[in-house]
Amino acid sequence: MSRSISFQGGTLVLYDVDAHEPVPAPFRLIKGRWRCEAYHYGPLQPELTVRDLRDTVPRWQRLDLPLQETREPHAYQLDALAAWEQAGRRGSIILPTGAGKTYVAIQAISRVNRSTLVVAPTIDLLHQWYARLVTAFARDVGIYYGGEKQVRPLTVTTYHSAGDLVAAWGNAFKLLIFDEVHHLPAPTWGETALMAPAPLRLGLTATYPDEQEQSNGRWRVEDLIGPIVYTKRIGELVGQQLATYRTQRVQVDLTPDERDRYDADYAIYSGYIRSRQLLGRYGRDWFRELLRRSSRDPQARGALLARQRLLQLVGSCAGKFGALEALLREYAAGRVLVFTEHLAMVYAIAARYLIPAITHETRAAERKQILDGFREGRYRALVTSRVLNEGVDVPEAKVAIVLGGGASAREYIQRLGRVLRKVENQEAVLFEVVARATLDEGRAHRRQPRPEAL
Amino acid sequence: MLTADLVRPRLRCNAGELTIALLDERKRSWLQTASELIALLRGQAGHTQAEWECAVDAYTGPRVDYVVVRGLAKVLSDAATFTPPPTPLPPAALRERLFAHGPAFPTPQVLHPQTRDAVVARVAAELGLDVEQVATTLFADRPAASILQDAGPPWTPAGLLARYNLELARGVLYWASALHLEVQGSYKDLWKYLKLFKLMFWARPLPGGGYAIDLDGPLSPFVQATTRYGRQFAAFLPALLLCERWRLVADVRPPLGTPATYRLDDSAPLRSHFARSGPFDSRLEADFAREFAQTFGGQRGTWLLSREDEVLLLGDTVMIPDFALTHKRLGQRVLIEIAGFWHPDYLRRKVEKVRAAGCQHLLLLVSERVNLSAERLRDVPGEVVYFKHKPVLKEVMGAVDALAERVYGMAAKR
Repeated sequence: MSRSISFQGGTLVLYDVDAHEPVPAPFRLIKGRWRCEAYHYGPLQPELTVRDLRDTVPRWQRLDLPLQETREPHAYQLDALAAWEQAGRRGSIILPTGAGKTYVAIQAISRVNRSTLVVAPTIDLLHQWYARLVTAFARDVGIYYGGEKQVRPLTVTTYHSAGDLVAAWGNAFKLLIFDEVHHLPAPTWGETALMAPAPLRLGLTATYPDEQEQSNGRWRVEDLIGPIVYTKRIGELVGQQLATYRTQRVQVDLTPDERDRYDADYAIYSGYIRSRQLLGRYGRDWFRELLRRSSRDPQARGALLARQRLLQLVGSCAGKFGALEALLREYAAGRVLVFTEHLAMVYAIAARYLIPAITHETRAAERKQILDGFREGRYRALVTSRVLNEGVDVPEAKVAIVLGGGASAREYIQRLGRVLRKVENQEAVLFEVVARATLDEGRAHRRQPRPEAL
Repeated sequence: MLTADLVRPRLRCNAGELTIALLDERKRSWLQTASELIALLRGQAGHTQAEWECAVDAYTGPRVDYVVVRGLAKVLSDAATFTPPPTPLPPAALRERLFAHGPAFPTPQVLHPQTRDAVVARVAAELGLDVEQVATTLFADRPAASILQDAGPPWTPAGLLARYNLELARGVLYWASALHLEVQGSYKDLWKYLKLFKLMFWARPLPGGGYAIDLDGPLSPFVQATTRYGRQFAAFLPALLLCERWRLVADVRPPLGTPATYRLDDSAPLRSHFARSGPFDSRLEADFAREFAQTFGGQRGTWLLSREDEVLLLGDTVMIPDFALTHKRLGQRVLIEIAGFWHPDYLRRKVEKVRAAGCQHLLLLVSERVNLSAERLRDVPGEVVYFKHKPVLKEVMGAVDALAERVYGMAAKR
């Protein structure tokens, strides 16, 4: 065997290179061979020729895909692309949700014209990228996640599945695109960028992780993707590309019967927490402590079950259906997007009001059919669980109704982004329906974004 | 596979040493719980997955050992088969029809003169269904609506407890960053599985016989304590149990927990459900390999044939396809499994698992003597080729090319 460099499970390995030979810095002698993480491949390339190493790493191909996209780019999109090219086709572009990040990515793929892997945070977004890329290049596109695994020269995957894909096929792609790149510092997700030899990289996001978020994980986005090459904030685009929006809170009351059940369960739940001083003694870990105790102490188990009933009741109380129904009636001439956290609630709403549902269970074909129908006006309303949280493309929605939901600020911004697309200067409204005097109110409060993030 | 919420409460950590509260397989109360859950599952034949989950919740009630009860139930349902119920028309087609009339409301109003129930009745009539059928068909393709078809292997209470214990140990290895093994006696299968799971190992012979083996993955030296290979470690554990004498030390980091050491040896009450390998699996395979070498061996052809060099992780078990073909230029792979003399039930279960794993690049060669209806095999993600006496090489290679084209795309054209 001749002296060579190979890709192996996310690493680069030198074959027939003596343990005493001086090798470039990132290589380390491990289990008898020189090895390093695959992301060093780009900077290492010039060295390989000098050292007479046969390079078996790249398996990427020319794409030669004529671009079918007919939309004219906005000036800021061209500026962003130019900045990325300037930086050697590496780095992150920060654009607000709704400002056409996918469009920028498609242009980048077309310019690079080599095998590309797109990494998206959710299966929904994966399907959306798939649909956009198929339309843009009129060519079938690979798709790789739990349910389907096809690797093609242009492939879309999720952060969750990307590690396995890159370990096996990492050297098949010259360009990596990370959608919502702020997810990258998370421990296992960052490994993907480390394991790929792809010399060209593009990160896209509306909310670049701040310094503290990056140091909490193991990696800095800059080290994996390259520097921030372009930034445009939401304020600069409102009214230009994006519509303005307002939020409105709708408070509903529990029915007397629900209130009785709520109070009874709340007494059990809070009585236990208070009498055992869980908050005082365990601080932020109080819930873990409750879980731990619930497998020994029948009263803790009772408190846990009471809490489950409380959340269930608040999530699906009659008042929320009433408020939802009133809003649906009022806005059904437009296009309404309904969010709720609980899967069972999504399907209950779909069956009750005869409106389509999209959840993680919805398959690609039906998802596309529903979103197309919504765009074309065949469907006036659409109910989803939290899977549509980030940047799913439903520009026609002018009204969003949130029934319950998680507590993070990022989620709130992304949800807002959904109704922000400008269609004829129409103002978008986000209604948040909460049950008065319940756990709901605290949760909704925490959901308010920090002022500087907007 | 047990989920983290079912494993974590069974762990104890003391001075950096992690132990699992394994169940005593002879304890009467556990045997009774296991026996009741097995009966509960068998009683659910023909019922939906949602009903099974409700039944488990009702059975569990306020019990404080709910983590164990749910874990046992999870082991049972992982080995069982749930399939979607038959419907008069595809549920998605019904939804498309019905939802075109939404949103609809319980009471009529100016903009929405037709009530929800009136819309449902009208669409039902148009489709020649009754209202009840519309309700049951609407979301019949959800996993929650699938029907318990096969309750899995013939469980005994003790067998279920043993399997639960094994799944707990696997659950811990899921969070492992490295394993250190010492093995003695009958380790032929061990090497095979180590290689197949693509784990990196570093073995040294032990003075008293046997080997000490360090186990991790390619990225491990660079990413401190990566748990990337945990899934392979967990899947590998039953292979280790095939050895006569063994010891295992694992570096683990449970989510939200502190790094710890987990030790296990052959005195643990765990049994493997992997089969020991026989001498050579079948004549069919030997013949296939010989014929391939005669026709496409050496420099000829575009594919390289290798035997049993990849493991497919299928939920809680593994499948090692008989052959793998690697494209000489592009490195793309197609796996081949020959189903010659299997019992139809065994094959059916395997097909279900292959389907669940969504493995696209698998070619199944099925003997027509195996009485599996084509209907059953239609939804397998890969491709199926039938043969009478033995697989016809030309047909097989044609199917391989078609499969590669379908899975890897036009750009991969040979």
